[in-house]
Amino acid sequence: MSTNTSQTPAERLRDAGLYAPGEAVLSVRDLNVRFNSENGVVHAVRGVDFDLMPGKTLGIVGESGSGKSVTSMAIMGLLPETADITGSVRYKGKELLGLSDKAMCKHRGSDIAMVFQDPLSSLTPVYTVGTQIIEALTVHNPSMSKQAKEARAVDLLRMVGIPSPKDRLKAFPHEFSGGMRQRVMIAIAIANDPRVLIADEPTTALDVTIQAQVLEVLHTAQEETGAAVVMITHDLGVVAGMADDIMVMYAGKPVETGTVEDIYYNPRMPYTLGLLGAVPRVDTATKQSLVPIEGTPPNLALPVTGCSFAARCPMVSDACLHGEPELFPVPGTEGQTLGHKAACIKSDQLSGNADAHRIFHAPPKPVSKFDGVARVERAKVLELRDVKKHFPLLKGALIKRRIGTVKAVDGLSFDIREGECVSIVGESGCGKTTTLLEIMEFHPDQVGEVVIGGVSNKVATDHKTTMAMRKEMQMVFQDPTGALDPRFTVYEVLAEPLENLGMPKAAIKKRIMELMKLVGLQSDHVNRFPNQFSGGQRQRIGIARALAVNPKLVVLDEPVSALDVSVQAGVINLLDKLRAELGLSYLMVAHDLSVVRHISDRVAVMYLGKIVETGDVDHVFDNPRHPYTRALLSAIPVPDPHLERTRERIILQGDLPSPLDAPKGCNFATRCPVFAALPPAKQEKCLTLEPPLAPEKEGTQDFACFFPDGEIDADMLVVHA
Amino acid sequence: MLKYLMKRSGIYLIMIFLTTSAGYFLAVSSLKPAVLEQEKIPRPTPEQVAASFRGLGLDPDKNAWERYVDWLWGIVTRWDWGRSPNGAFVNAEFADRVLVSTRLFIASIILTLIIGVALGVYSAARQYKVQDRVITSYSYLVHILPAPIAYFLVQLGAISINEAVGERIFFVTGISTPGIEPGWPAFVDLVAHYAVPTFAMTIFGWAGYQIAQRQYLLDNVNADFVRTARAKGLTRNQAIRKHALRVSFIPVAQSIAFTIPAIFTGGFFAEAIFAWPGIGLWSIQSISLQDVNVATATLAYGSVIFAIGAILADFATTLVDPRVRVQ
Repeated sequence: MSTNTSQTPAERLRDAGLYAPGEAVLSVRDLNVRFNSENGVVHAVRGVDFDLMPGKTLGIVGESGSGKSVTSMAIMGLLPETADITGSVRYKGKELLGLSDKAMCKHRGSDIAMVFQDPLSSLTPVYTVGTQIIEALTVHNPSMSKQAKEARAVDLLRMVGIPSPKDRLKAFPHEFSGGMRQRVMIAIAIANDPRVLIADEPTTALDVTIQAQVLEVLHTAQEETGAAVVMITHDLGVVAGMADDIMVMYAGKPVETGTVEDIYYNPRMPYTLGLLGAVPRVDTATKQSLVPIEGTPPNLALPVTGCSFAARCPMVSDACLHGEPELFPVPGTEGQTLGHKAACIKSDQLSGNADAHRIFHAPPKPVSKFDGVARVERAKVLELRDVKKHFPLLKGALIKRRIGTVKAVDGLSFDIREGECVSIVGESGCGKTTTLLEIMEFHPDQVGEVVIGGVSNKVATDHKTTMAMRKEMQMVFQDPTGALDPRFTVYEVLAEPLENLGMPKAAIKKRIMELMKLVGLQSDHVNRFPNQFSGGQRQRIGIARALAVNPKLVVLDEPVSALDVSVQAGVINLLDKLRAELGLSYLMVAHDLSVVRHISDRVAVMYLGKIVETGDVDHVFDNPRHPYTRALLSAIPVPDPHLERTRERIILQGDLPSPLDAPKGCNFATRCPVFAALPPAKQEKCLTLEPPLAPEKEGTQDFACFFPDGEIDADMLVVHA
Repeated sequence: MLKYLMKRSGIYLIMIFLTTSAGYFLAVSSLKPAVLEQEKIPRPTPEQVAASFRGLGLDPDKNAWERYVDWLWGIVTRWDWGRSPNGAFVNAEFADRVLVSTRLFIASIILTLIIGVALGVYSAARQYKVQDRVITSYSYLVHILPAPIAYFLVQLGAISINEAVGERIFFVTGISTPGIEPGWPAFVDLVAHYAVPTFAMTIFGWAGYQIAQRQYLLDNVNADFVRTARAKGLTRNQAIRKHALRVSFIPVAQSIAFTIPAIFTGGFFAEAIFAWPGIGLWSIQSISLQDVNVATATLAYGSVIFAIGAILADFATTLVDPRVRVQ
């Protein structure tokens, strides 16, 4: 580490005038972080500048590897000793870089606190939650009495919305759900009223409904403590409603900074523009394809000579390749905290209403031959009739006793027609994956009937029938890295299913070349191993493998959730194109409702093993009837600051209940915002009768609720004005 | 907790019974003490041998099942584990042997554990620095050094100290000097006998704990929860000490409980080299002496110690890891 002794004139100028820190609580100047790795020095953060004003929120947005997390860790002084950090980080004017671990400890946790991404691993498993909160108090207030600390810990837990906080102090982290643990993390972070709170992807590991809860808690925490917040995320929706200012990072460098309005409504850097166009929207029915950003970010172990985005930029010209552009103020903006700045020599060409689709050459929305055919006239490729999967819950070592039943899938019926995409959505634990596994299982002993391509599982008693079914249906998995054998070349990966069908060698070779072209990969890459491809390319290989045997139905299990936004758009566009060109049908499971809205024709919302609402995606999303669907949709953040700030949001209480103690009547009653507002006489009906999945008179979608248009309980409604 | 203990003990009791019974059948069908009797001078007649064995309850004419029933009946009704071919009662010798073994090993078990874990933590905190390299290299060296050679080296060292001083400070073999007067002289004699084996077994014993503790701690020093602790305002060393150490001790605690029986029953080399006639030595000797009852008794003892170790391991785990619940 070094202090800021040898500044260039430009830096001195910046420090003196242009960037006058004013009363900023945190000022970062020319922060650079380098790591020594086997491949040479990786320059992970390259010149980050920002000022954080008291009580304001700065959103740092970027894809994985953009240096946003490293920036936050450098500010906290939590990077390994081997990291080479230069520049300046000032807390209320005091330089933090170069402080010893011990000196830094005075600031960590009291002045600057942090919330990390993965709540499951961020709490020490062997200490109670109370001990861990009290520890944070003890470190900075050694003289505080034990009673006072305990009282404060109870207050903190109450503040972050943990029920019966006094008893929960004695609970261990494993007794909490992920969302609850993240609340505890927030409680620890705000324990000493920090002036700066850094939240590093605080909701990425959580379900949408839980994400909404946690964001709400962060909001409360900020209000209570008046802390300035640095919100680090890859999700443009999450920061839209929270942040005052945004810094977009790419390849370790801020490429655009400004107020939320500047960034979302008037992006002046092609990368920002592309990123915004790459995100599907949950709130509008789009008839456009997404904006794909081709290529991958540069390798930061190599020196950057031109604009780091040049290789992926559609507007690139020779001038972009010589010298990296600095952040310059965008003409026509003044008087803001950060000022609207963009690191692009062509930012003036993007003024006004630049069309990302045109600039990035987004492909037209593909048209399928089935588009003109009414749904009822198309053949069914998959049908489920009352499929059930109940797991017995057993107890006892030698002699097992059944103490209960987990109804993972409880009477599912739906069908998929030719050329359509049906999505199953819901929180984790609702039975989405079990549904897919039940379909893949295809065994006569299953409860309920699965019909694939006209063949029922009830007649699938021999290997031949099962094989015929496998040819009809293929699967694409969530994690493209885990789903490809690292010791197989792409050729071998793609050849395997074809060899299974007994295809001759020459035909296999021809088919593989076709497949590579089909999914947009170079055909001379077939002899490479999966680790030589990027995540998006690997997912394309996974798709090619699924398509090898010419299936009619492809099951997509979270196909893009492991990918970065810009890469995700390309894969979604590919899936769209393949469906239209090959007349495929998709069954997709996804937790990202924006992706679902973009790609699906029909949607089924699942809760505790049952479908609670199903219908055309536009009907369900524009006019949700079931309170759960309403809550789910309102929880999705939209990348539109104005909308996000004025939108009503339903915050569901608590987590998905354990399927073990599923209620007798309506499953959802325990968390239902409508139920909570009903008079007791009507509540009785929800608690005793199970609502059937049925359409209303002249209704467009099926839903399972007695009071579909019921009023929402005021406690569960939140609007941030 | 008590209920759990009873249940586990019950299961282990059944397992001990099964292994011991199987061991008895194996011993009774493969060990033939009569063969050794033939080497006596004057050579006894087979009738004499059979008659003397019959008197000891080792009737060679009975089949395995009959002898098993007799043997089991003796244990169940009179707690009599039978007799050796030379007429000695197993019960009488057993207690002495266990006492000798326990005395020989108890100090080194405790020292090994404390030193091993401490050095593991010390070396993990200084990963790849000189101290770590020295300590860990030593541990690996000791791991590949056969125990007999290691113990002989210590004995040689003790002898050369004795010679250098010109006086016998250390005894390299034996338990005590016969005929020593009680009180202070007896205590000095005890320490002089005790020092060499304890020292040898300790410095060659901690390697396993050191390596394991170092490894488990290193797995945890960069864990997310250590980072959280640092973000609260703890220094790196405080965070490691308070958070990583306890988590990393969970697997070590389990292995400690399991290594105790291994030391008690597997100390054949130490007992032989330092001439402490303990249970390990007895077990090996019983096989060469074709002694069915002693072989089975030592086997049963090993099983019991193992069961105790397993229950201790469960206890240790529940003690340090709140995620494990005893039901």
